[in-house]
Amino acid sequence: MSGVKYYDLRHVTGQVTHIDIDNSVVESAGTSFFNKAVLRVLDRAGWGVIQIDNFTPCSGRKFDDLLLSAQKLAGITEEIVKLGDVPHGMLPVPPMKEDPRAVSIEEKSLLLAGIEEAARHPAVVNRRANYIERIEQVRFTDSSDNEFSYEMCRSGFNVLAVASRNGNVQMGYEREHTIHGFDLRHRQESGKKAAEIAVALLDAGAVKGGRMHAVLDPELAGVFAHEAVGHASEGDLIHEGNSVLKGKTGEKIGDEILTIVDDPSLSEFGFDPVDAEGTKVLRTEIIRKGVVNAFLHNRESLAALGNGIAGHARAMPGEPPLVRMSNTFIENGDSTEAEIFAECKNGIFLKGSRGGQVDPGRGIFQFNAEYGYLVENGECTKMIRDVSLSGEILSTLHRIALCGNDRKMSPGYCGKGGQSVPVSDGAPHVLLLDAVVGGSGLD
Amino acid sequence: MSFFSMRWWVAVAWIEELIREGQKSVDEVEVFYVEGTSVSADLKQKKVNLATTSIDCGLGIRTVHKGRIGSSSTNDLDNWKNCLNAAIASGKLATPQTWNGLPEPVSLPASPLSFDPALECDPDTARDLLEKMLAGASEHPADVTAGSASLSVSSVTLANSHGIRYGDRHTGVSLSLEAIERQSTGYEFDYASYLGDVDPNKVGERAAFFAWKSADGKDIPTGDYPVVLSPLAYAELLGSVFVPALNGRSVHSGRSRLAQSLGERIADPRITMYDDPLLPRASGSVWWDAEGTPTRRIDFVRDGILQTFAYDLKTAYRYDKKTTGSAVRGGFGGLPSIGHHNFIVDGKREEILDERVLYVHSVVGAHTANPMSGDFSVEISNAFWMEDGGFEEPVRSAMMSGNVFDMHKEIAGLSKESRGIGSLILPSIRINKQHIIGK
Repeated sequence: MSGVKYYDLRHVTGQVTHIDIDNSVVESAGTSFFNKAVLRVLDRAGWGVIQIDNFTPCSGRKFDDLLLSAQKLAGITEEIVKLGDVPHGMLPVPPMKEDPRAVSIEEKSLLLAGIEEAARHPAVVNRRANYIERIEQVRFTDSSDNEFSYEMCRSGFNVLAVASRNGNVQMGYEREHTIHGFDLRHRQESGKKAAEIAVALLDAGAVKGGRMHAVLDPELAGVFAHEAVGHASEGDLIHEGNSVLKGKTGEKIGDEILTIVDDPSLSEFGFDPVDAEGTKVLRTEIIRKGVVNAFLHNRESLAALGNGIAGHARAMPGEPPLVRMSNTFIENGDSTEAEIFAECKNGIFLKGSRGGQVDPGRGIFQFNAEYGYLVENGECTKMIRDVSLSGEILSTLHRIALCGNDRKMSPGYCGKGGQSVPVSDGAPHVLLLDAVVGGSGLD
Repeated sequence: MSFFSMRWWVAVAWIEELIREGQKSVDEVEVFYVEGTSVSADLKQKKVNLATTSIDCGLGIRTVHKGRIGSSSTNDLDNWKNCLNAAIASGKLATPQTWNGLPEPVSLPASPLSFDPALECDPDTARDLLEKMLAGASEHPADVTAGSASLSVSSVTLANSHGIRYGDRHTGVSLSLEAIERQSTGYEFDYASYLGDVDPNKVGERAAFFAWKSADGKDIPTGDYPVVLSPLAYAELLGSVFVPALNGRSVHSGRSRLAQSLGERIADPRITMYDDPLLPRASGSVWWDAEGTPTRRIDFVRDGILQTFAYDLKTAYRYDKKTTGSAVRGGFGGLPSIGHHNFIVDGKREEILDERVLYVHSVVGAHTANPMSGDFSVEISNAFWMEDGGFEEPVRSAMMSGNVFDMHKEIAGLSKESRGIGSLILPSIRINKQHIIGK
């Protein structure tokens, strides 16, 4: 055994099944396979990491040679990396209602075609539906004899409808992704909804940019939590000095009603039974009653900074883990949807999202709504096309004036450092006062 | 020294066996095999925190039988038979289409276009690049938060049952640095196929410059302004919306706003857009595309007029067009789809910074632009009022809204210099009236 201070090895094998149906044509369907591992070593200073495709588990001399190669590589590092003490342990993977592997790909293809067909409409010029099913077998070991292995299956579908009239092209997009098993049955409603939105958007107006009150639906408010707070609370960014939340622990940056949580133990799309460093996953209250409470950490950032909870290390197969969000949400408040619209009175109601982006060091974020409605006298009136909102982390949270009691989570993927991981975001309906809205409307 | 040596030319015995085995069940077989290695070093603030080596491989198989296209991929090479069986099974599910065969072999130059024989995956080289970036960053009073330098070497093999046996090699060097001065951030990067074509000192200097120079920005009132988008800001909008609308598959299936615009003016007459796959040293340069079609220049837009869309074999056969050699593959073992090699925006070049103008270095949130309609509203980053080419007053924060398609008709000038941003090679562009939403 080589004399390294610490090592861990994460080996992931698995398969991906996909179906792509485009205007009733099965463009492609089938299964691909992968086998990837990442070995990380700490010795004198920082990390030496080896990423290996087509990895064959090994021991004895062969494994020692790998450790030695990683150790040599670490020879160019200078920063002394310390690892925090963390609880280890693994949660059970939630059982699936129906294992997708028990359903033939022919049946999956027929069900998906039904969803795609449901998006048929005279004004819809393109319908496209995709199914994706990803099964991963994860094996983790480290130099402290921690060993975990589990299997996760994530599956789901997207359906897109494109409507076109006189050069005006609009889209409706619906998606459902889950860790709870096969979910293509009785889902035609999603295709129908995608078509209805695409067609309705042909007649929607563009909002004029500026400041206005905004009601965010649970999906969009979840993206807000993710972009406005989640990324800036990631311990690795704070450690680098690249977050406006650095040094803000205990400071009040939002109203009493606002609590924002990241919880990888929750049975949602961002669930991990154990994190990518073998750490037990725990609920972390980033903002508690408006006050900066705890950061998201891996073992390295926990040791460097404190003020938070480890168990947030996540990685794509074969990649070194980074501090990542999992299931991020604004906790329920006590307002009803009716109260939120009444309080908004005049403004906009925004729904759905194609995501957002944040510059955590600058403290500025942007996120997008797929569509929405003008709110006039507390009532939704004219439909509006996609608009974006931007804000500043340290001031915008104070403008969350009301939180509803109807929290809902939406699945998605989050990119950071070239890695994309499954997440979910959620919230109840919220009222954001004086939101900065970007739109191309002229009146 | 190098920790892992590369085998330049893969042993092809198993590929020949795979093709023979596949031909027992299907009309045609195609094998795409990539292997590579890379090394990278990452900074946490000013110290190297992490050094990585990767050993990558990927196999993609396509089968075609009576117009049904099957595919699978794996990086578990010992199990290529499973992958072949999965590809054949996959073909049985696909809707049959018109298919006139995979390409036949032709004689092409053997010398790779984007390969630096002097580039080795040496961790010490990566560390030296980081040190040069740090030296550049020290020219301005800003703190480095993170940075990365990586080197990669890969080999690509394409073989099919018509006798194609093509090999190619690529190298790459990639740099990035992030810096901060109070609440102002700066980011810069560089990428090239040849080690000597990157300028690590300048990457560091620019990252620190933008962080430092953008601090203490002032607000800007809402209104329409003359704006210059840097190649980086332009690339974000062009790449998310405009380039995908030239994809032949999107066009014929109704997912492109440009579908009905062939022969029409879609951009200012000064604008020409083309894909040049044969540009020496450019990162996307290849003699043959991802399914073995010889590549050539494709003129998408000439003098503002839309000339053609991009096609691969599958889409060309289906819609009775000719492939433009635009098949590309994403990552190791990825399957072919329509893309581009080196996408270039060109035209008459001039001085575009001589008058007072709002210069936008980058944007936040371009991926949320509507890919169908082209509508966008993004946050601007490292924006300045510029006069006579000098960075004067920084703008703190604002949004920029518009439509990517309409914007191309309003382009009022292209800068003299171009810059490679990924696979796009772009000038800065000037727009005389761009809507900005202040805070």
